[in-house]
Amino acid sequence: MLMQLLYEQAEANPGQTALVYRDERISYAELVDRIERIAAGLAQRGIGPGDAVGLALRDDPWFVTCFHAIAALGARIVPVNPAFKQPELEFCFRAAGVRAVISDERTAGVCERIVAGFDRPAEVINASAAHDQSPTLDGLMESGTPERLPARQPEEIFVYQYSSGSTGRPKLVPRTHGQCAAEAALYAELGMTTEDTILSAVPLFHTYGMGACIFGGAVSGATVVILEDPHPFLLRRHRALELLEAEQVTVFPGVPFNFRLMAEAPAGGDLSSLRLCFSAGTALPRPSFEAFGERFGILVRQLYGSTETGIISANMSDDPVATFESVGAPLGAVEVEIVDDEGESMPVGELGEVTVKSPAATNGYAEMDEPNRQAFRDGWYFTGDLGRLDDDGMLHLAGRKKLLIEIGGYKVDPIEVQDVVEAHPSVEEAIVVGVPGKVEGEEAIKAVAVPNEDCEERELIAFCRERLANFKVPQVVEFRDEIPKSPLGKILRKYLV
Amino acid sequence: MSVGTEVEKFIVEEIALGTGIDSVDHDEDLLAQDVIDSLGIVELVKFLESQYGISVSDDDLLPENFQSVNSVVAFVEARRG
Repeated sequence: MLMQLLYEQAEANPGQTALVYRDERISYAELVDRIERIAAGLAQRGIGPGDAVGLALRDDPWFVTCFHAIAALGARIVPVNPAFKQPELEFCFRAAGVRAVISDERTAGVCERIVAGFDRPAEVINASAAHDQSPTLDGLMESGTPERLPARQPEEIFVYQYSSGSTGRPKLVPRTHGQCAAEAALYAELGMTTEDTILSAVPLFHTYGMGACIFGGAVSGATVVILEDPHPFLLRRHRALELLEAEQVTVFPGVPFNFRLMAEAPAGGDLSSLRLCFSAGTALPRPSFEAFGERFGILVRQLYGSTETGIISANMSDDPVATFESVGAPLGAVEVEIVDDEGESMPVGELGEVTVKSPAATNGYAEMDEPNRQAFRDGWYFTGDLGRLDDDGMLHLAGRKKLLIEIGGYKVDPIEVQDVVEAHPSVEEAIVVGVPGKVEGEEAIKAVAVPNEDCEERELIAFCRERLANFKVPQVVEFRDEIPKSPLGKILRKYLV
Repeated sequence: MSVGTEVEKFIVEEIALGTGIDSVDHDEDLLAQDVIDSLGIVELVKFLESQYGISVSDDDLLPENFQSVNSVVAFVEARRG
């Protein structure tokens, strides 16, 4: 269904630029042609409806092309963080049951090692020709004959994503073509048009980047400018500012970290073309909002969403200063209700758990009965976020009910990290908590460990780094004789922070 | 110990700790290989300032100054004059 949006854009405005990446400019007509060729090439390799295909690529035109090609074939996209370590990638690929993985030169080696261990056939397709004799995307492009791809059924699975959530392992979130098309329609509510240019600086494998840039681009016919290699953003902020100015970017979805670093950048920055800046992932600290506004004359608006629901709300208020703390009113057909611990609706202004009903929301986690019972009730998704609705129907978030740690826009499940720390032979018991980071509004990860023999902080961090993506690794380890617990055995986290 | 060796040692022992990296080719692209993230850059800057007595400003936080060990060495030497 997303593909039909691209066909509409390519037919209405074939020469309109769809993607900009380095010196490359790809029109909607060219993008559609590439997608059809890759889809045909994948089909020749036996990929078809219902097959899961891993996408372990950095953000570039290959990512966008393969993303649409996999979905248009009726196969299931499994986008993963290319910075994940081997155990994390292996978990994602196994849980989704991938038939193939598309990788680049950075991820090819580890992906090949992973699929080599599968007990059923799976292959790695490389974006680059430099890696052994594996099939390449260039090869698929050459061999595939472009043919119009049929519309998919709304109930077919479009994408498998992963959500952190206090269970120790990420949960597999399937969303259908119908649900993702519904999310694209919600992005249309933000008023983007073919006149807009969106800067893609948040990862496209993540729901936010996928929604704002891939779905938002397709539904509006806007141009998407991809910031090449956005990490480390501290060194890339100059390039981001350069692109914002040179490409006359009008829409910039970012995370608080982006806005703070750009506001502090020493040079550059006529951002007068910008009309919409969105911040999501974690609460935007007031100093970052003010510094960015003062420096560039554009006010950042908060946006709210989740992997399970896609976009929920965005602050489109006429007075973004007075309402800066709000993530806005629910978009389109999305409904938000605040409930108490018993799941009963709460009055306006009262604080409770945010629940969401949305046409873009998943029907539930794959093969996880208990988490589904807890999180999905009567068509409502229980987000685990705390918030309240004001008299104008705008949502204000106030922390989390679930124990998640927010690092640079990612949500880290402390139990996943804890399981790794406890796997160290010198650790008897461990608890992982979020503590205030060096910068206001950001958290750091702290592990509190009870050792059963001599163990050094450095050794434990090294152990975690081998098994977890860098953003999940504890920055601090504190050794204690015991974990503080209540008489009933409940862990007293307040004494660990 | 040369500046290049000291910088390599700091990257291996502090920034890339636990990644399995035990040496870094001085021409290796540290950014493309995700060896350093934003926090790692901050740590490296603190090390350069204390070790070599140089001042690193926000203007200096550019990929070309941190792309490889050799880039860092060239940057330090330019700053030391």
